[in-house]
Amino acid sequence: MPPRLAVNNLQSYFFTRTGLIKAVDDVSFNIAQGETLALVGESGCGKSMTALSLLRLLPEPGRIVGGEISLDGRDLLRLPDVEMRRIRGNEISMIFQEPMTSLNPVLRIGEQIAEVLRLHQGDTKQQALEQAAELLIQVGIADPKRRLREYPHQLSGGQRQRIMIAIALACDPKLLIADEPTTALDVTIQAQIMDLLLELKEQRQMATLLISHDLGVVAGNADKLAVMYAGQIVEFGTVKRIFENPLHPYTQGLLQCIPRLGQKNRLSTIPGQLPDLRKQLEGCLFLDRCPGPCAPCGHQSPEIEEFEPDHWVRCWRY
Amino acid sequence: MSFLEVKNLRKSFRLTDSLGRAAGQLVAVDNLSLSLQQGETLGLVGESGCGKSTTGKLILQLLPSDGGQVIFDGEDLTQLSTRQMRPYRRRIQMIFQDPFSSLNPRMTVGSILSEPLLIHRLAPPRQVRDRVIELLEKVGLSAEHEQRYPHEFSGGQRQRVGIARALAVEPQLIIADEPVSALDLSVQAQILNLLQGFQQEHNLSYLFIAHDLAVIEHVSDRIAVMYLGKIVELTSAEELYKNPCHPYTEALLNAVPVPDPDQPRPTALKGEIPSPVNPPSGCYFHPRCPYADDRCRQQQPELLDIGHKHQVACYHSEQVGRFLLQK
Repeated sequence: MPPRLAVNNLQSYFFTRTGLIKAVDDVSFNIAQGETLALVGESGCGKSMTALSLLRLLPEPGRIVGGEISLDGRDLLRLPDVEMRRIRGNEISMIFQEPMTSLNPVLRIGEQIAEVLRLHQGDTKQQALEQAAELLIQVGIADPKRRLREYPHQLSGGQRQRIMIAIALACDPKLLIADEPTTALDVTIQAQIMDLLLELKEQRQMATLLISHDLGVVAGNADKLAVMYAGQIVEFGTVKRIFENPLHPYTQGLLQCIPRLGQKNRLSTIPGQLPDLRKQLEGCLFLDRCPGPCAPCGHQSPEIEEFEPDHWVRCWRY
Repeated sequence: MSFLEVKNLRKSFRLTDSLGRAAGQLVAVDNLSLSLQQGETLGLVGESGCGKSTTGKLILQLLPSDGGQVIFDGEDLTQLSTRQMRPYRRRIQMIFQDPFSSLNPRMTVGSILSEPLLIHRLAPPRQVRDRVIELLEKVGLSAEHEQRYPHEFSGGQRQRVGIARALAVEPQLIIADEPVSALDLSVQAQILNLLQGFQQEHNLSYLFIAHDLAVIEHVSDRIAVMYLGKIVELTSAEELYKNPCHPYTEALLNAVPVPDPDQPRPTALKGEIPSPVNPPSGCYFHPRCPYADDRCRQQQPELLDIGHKHQVACYHSEQVGRFLLQK
């Protein structure tokens, strides 16, 4: 079966006054129907820009300069704007980190959910509101008729995120992008929201792109994992393979710096920080922070290569 | 006598509607008592809105309390005038969650760090600059950062500046309010190590406020779990992890995601934190509690000592642990 989403050699560059930034640099991955791919990395590594590229919503001065994004075989980068607009919120939906800023504060909840349905499915207002009530039940909000008439500020953070999920799922998307969906929430609410996303994904067989910096969340909720560093995917594979045998020194570092319950040892850290991408960098981008660089790392950039079945890495060591 | 002793601290906020009419009362901190020794870290954990940040501000007298005592090194801070309080403002410092909003964007890092030194006369003016550079190096930055503005730094670097500012005045107690929750995991580890290093070096006491139990458990000697303005469990970090006796603690432990795909997924606590304006009857936790019975719905359990320096406010503390995930 062909993958639902195939991204090949995606390149999104930012043409800033101070120089060219390769925010997404030759990124490739696939997501099958009903599968969740997690994209993990530090802030500024390009995870969110990858997601926005999929929707063709890169902020200025960013531009997609190369590659292919195909959803069910259609190349999104070749579609005219009008058709792309029909895909956003319909075939591909996105949930954002901050549910307070991504809902419109002056519109009632009901109108915000109904808008998507009226726009993409041509429902009448009445039909759309009825369906919106139905959706609220599915995302676990009690007393939906009353909630539809309320404004975002009347809801808690967890409830707002449920509303965002209802909006995203209104048109039964083929691909759901969840960008740090629980980062702003308490752990107890985080567990509720992740349960909800898993349940809805299984019912609807959506492909999901889960963006997170929390490897704990990823471990329990994704099938495959792509670790991103400085615009590139440095390791890719099934969650099981990568957690059992992390290959890239960056992935190893990420796994070691998590505080774990019941362990009091000093945390190990990844020294240094992301390189300044405006500078022309030679060799491996992780070189400055790598605990064990080898001979070619300084002058030649490694390619991403298959290490074992379902497990790829971008490192000269392998 | 402990270094810091908080007794029966209370704070409520009067709410008004859009026309300024009284609209009820929000009890943010409800009869809270805790103590802290020199060189010790006490973790304060709970969901947003449970009153943990308000507690921090009350201890530092940034908010006036409605009642209770905050005894720091033998002195009740709640009885002091603004002027009398001033030396204690040096000895107690705060580190904030958001390094983006807690540094003045129009001051260079050099002036942010020299201001407290000058105000508290901790260095002769001519030596201030040397001291600032020394501070920057201590937190892993360097002299070249002195002339830069906060916006030129990453989140982790800004939090380092926030820590340097707190350390500048050689405090004895630091109240750290969610110091790492805005940071990436890799940076979080660096900051936690930095804080622990300073603690050993200067015998600092920390009141460490966070919602992430894994972080709290890592840094704390003892942990207080808060729910709706009250401490529901208080014991050593190890005991809390191995033998939680309050159902809320158990639920928090279960909700922590484990970075291992072979472990069970976290179990979600049902429901949301109730409104502190209109708290449930009896035990505040009973609507979300799997152990609750009629007594819990009517009567509020008190925080009692159950031995091994373990305090808990629950009628069913012996049963708690039944639902604990084995991680």
